[in-house]
Amino acid sequence: MSAVANPSTELITRQRSSAAADAATARVAYQYLVWATVWLLVGTVAGLLPAIKLNWPDFLPTPWLSFGRIRPIHTNTVFWGWSTMALVGLAIYVASRTSRAPLWSPALARIALWLWNATVFGGVVTLSAGWSRGPQEYREWVWPLAALLGLGVVLNGYNIYRTVGTRQLPEVYISNWYILGAFCWLLILYVTAYLPIYESGVGNVVIQGYYMHTAVGMWFTILAVGVTYYALPRLLGRPIYSYALGVLGFWTNMLFYTVIGAHHFIFSPIPTWLQTIAILFSVGMMVPVWAGTGNFLLTLRGARHAVHQSYALPFLLVGILGYGLGSTQGTFEAFRTANIYLHFTNFTVGHSHATMYAFIAFIIWGAAYGLVPQFTGREPNPIIVGVHFWLALVGVVIYVVALSVAGVLQGMTWAAGRSFIASIVAAEPLWLWRTVGGLLMAGSHVAFAVNVWAMRPDVRLSEQISAVPIASTRHA
Amino acid sequence: MASRLHRDHRAIVAFAAIGYLILTLVIAILPASKVQGTLPFPGAPVRTAEAERGRQLYLKEGCGFCHTQFVRDLHVDRPFGRPSLAADYTGEAPALLGSERTGPDLANIGTRQPSEVWHLIHLYNPRAVMPQSVMPAYGWYFEAKERTDAGDVVVPVPKAFSSSDKVIVATPDALALARYLLSLRQFSPAQ
Repeated sequence: MSAVANPSTELITRQRSSAAADAATARVAYQYLVWATVWLLVGTVAGLLPAIKLNWPDFLPTPWLSFGRIRPIHTNTVFWGWSTMALVGLAIYVASRTSRAPLWSPALARIALWLWNATVFGGVVTLSAGWSRGPQEYREWVWPLAALLGLGVVLNGYNIYRTVGTRQLPEVYISNWYILGAFCWLLILYVTAYLPIYESGVGNVVIQGYYMHTAVGMWFTILAVGVTYYALPRLLGRPIYSYALGVLGFWTNMLFYTVIGAHHFIFSPIPTWLQTIAILFSVGMMVPVWAGTGNFLLTLRGARHAVHQSYALPFLLVGILGYGLGSTQGTFEAFRTANIYLHFTNFTVGHSHATMYAFIAFIIWGAAYGLVPQFTGREPNPIIVGVHFWLALVGVVIYVVALSVAGVLQGMTWAAGRSFIASIVAAEPLWLWRTVGGLLMAGSHVAFAVNVWAMRPDVRLSEQISAVPIASTRHA
Repeated sequence: MASRLHRDHRAIVAFAAIGYLILTLVIAILPASKVQGTLPFPGAPVRTAEAERGRQLYLKEGCGFCHTQFVRDLHVDRPFGRPSLAADYTGEAPALLGSERTGPDLANIGTRQPSEVWHLIHLYNPRAVMPQSVMPAYGWYFEAKERTDAGDVVVPVPKAFSSSDKVIVATPDALALARYLLSLRQFSPAQ
């Protein structure tokens, strides 16, 4: 007791340096978010351009802006630039907070950030120049870029591992299971995808199925769910409904998600047992998906008022519903019958936006609006948050509905045995709607960028933080 | 065990890594290693160096994002050829089965559309042969010249698609790409 009343000089010094370390954690987490937003804007332009080209194919007929080169720029930039950097920035903050410890090394996190920035920038340049590994989704980058990305994964993963290692509580909070698991799994699946020794002929297809699906499910999904397990209870001011459901979701996600990639190659010459097991385990995916979604919805139960009052919670709610519904849609798409009529169509592109956008991006935005002000001391502009929310939501609904309808129409013209061009003529009006949805989404990204600037760290606040003892700045 | 596990971050990471490695081995690495050894059809033609260069251009331009080379044993895929078999892809890295058909499947396009001139016009501007096409025009693989030199391959582009009175000449890259497309012929040992 006396130590608290009359803290020794040594204790105060330690507390001050600890608070400064907290400020350093906050700064680097914010930097990740800033760069993520830059890449979001780049990736959005790279998405709009090919969308427009489907209606006006002779628009900007430059080699480096042609459809086939810019499409992978869009996907890789929003994957590794936007979603990855934003989720890792949030994960850094979450791991530090839930461990009651500052980030082990903010400097290391900053090095990893610049490695990733160099990688994504290099990816934009090389793909537009046509230096590509060909249309192997999400691993089009040449291997030196992949090596840089992988190095960043190792540095950040190690950093967060050490941070959790210095935690002040005996338990590893459930968010950190997901965050540590995600780094572990991304490293394994990324190395597996780039090793060339088993990738000739149909071997390449087996790895492509495994990779394109687990890159999404063992990285973005896991990180987003992990961040939600912290952001949701924190913003609601109540505990998560069930810790055990979180653990169940973690292990079943690993078991089921890893195995289902082959459902992208149903009726292909890869072994039939792989295809069948992929379909079965796609049904199994309902366990982790609804363990997570159900857990979040039960945590939200009766919190209607809180959702109305908050500008972060509506984003999280959409993200949670996007997770449950988007993933359930994915299970149905895995069935053989669905494959006959919907595979190869725009339905799949609609699905990938229902998940990477209505789930992942919305979770990022909810967590960013909810958590960033807590460590920067500045709030976003509420009107611009509203503009962001509605543009993004209406935009993605138009986008997904348009492409789902387009996909069904394509499938119908093919099933009717009509000339191939009929499927393009049928889809074209819906491609225009896709561009409309995309423009609304782009507008929402600009609103978000304005708010990221509005939430920039308050210098005076971080000076105050370093001047007061740590105990009063820590939340309970 | 569960009660101890949630207090031990090392154990969580170890279990997650080992479990995932085993699954990766069983579901991806081992089957991939096995099927990559599929033998080609006996007597199947070997792709020429020029067609192989065309394939590299096909990869570079991302043609495979819109065109599959993957015919399934389904009635909807009948127009594109016989069902694809593992031996169709032996030695290809990457194999270009693809995931989307914004354009038609090309597994057997060399048989279905055997005209080199058609392919060259189509690459120069797809709308010259198919008005509703949304494929990019690969104008940068062609040259507009005042007059032809010896050995030039002139592409008979309709007047509406070529500016002024210049002639459109295929570059070696355009020819390589067209020859790659022509080389896409499903092989049947019975033939």
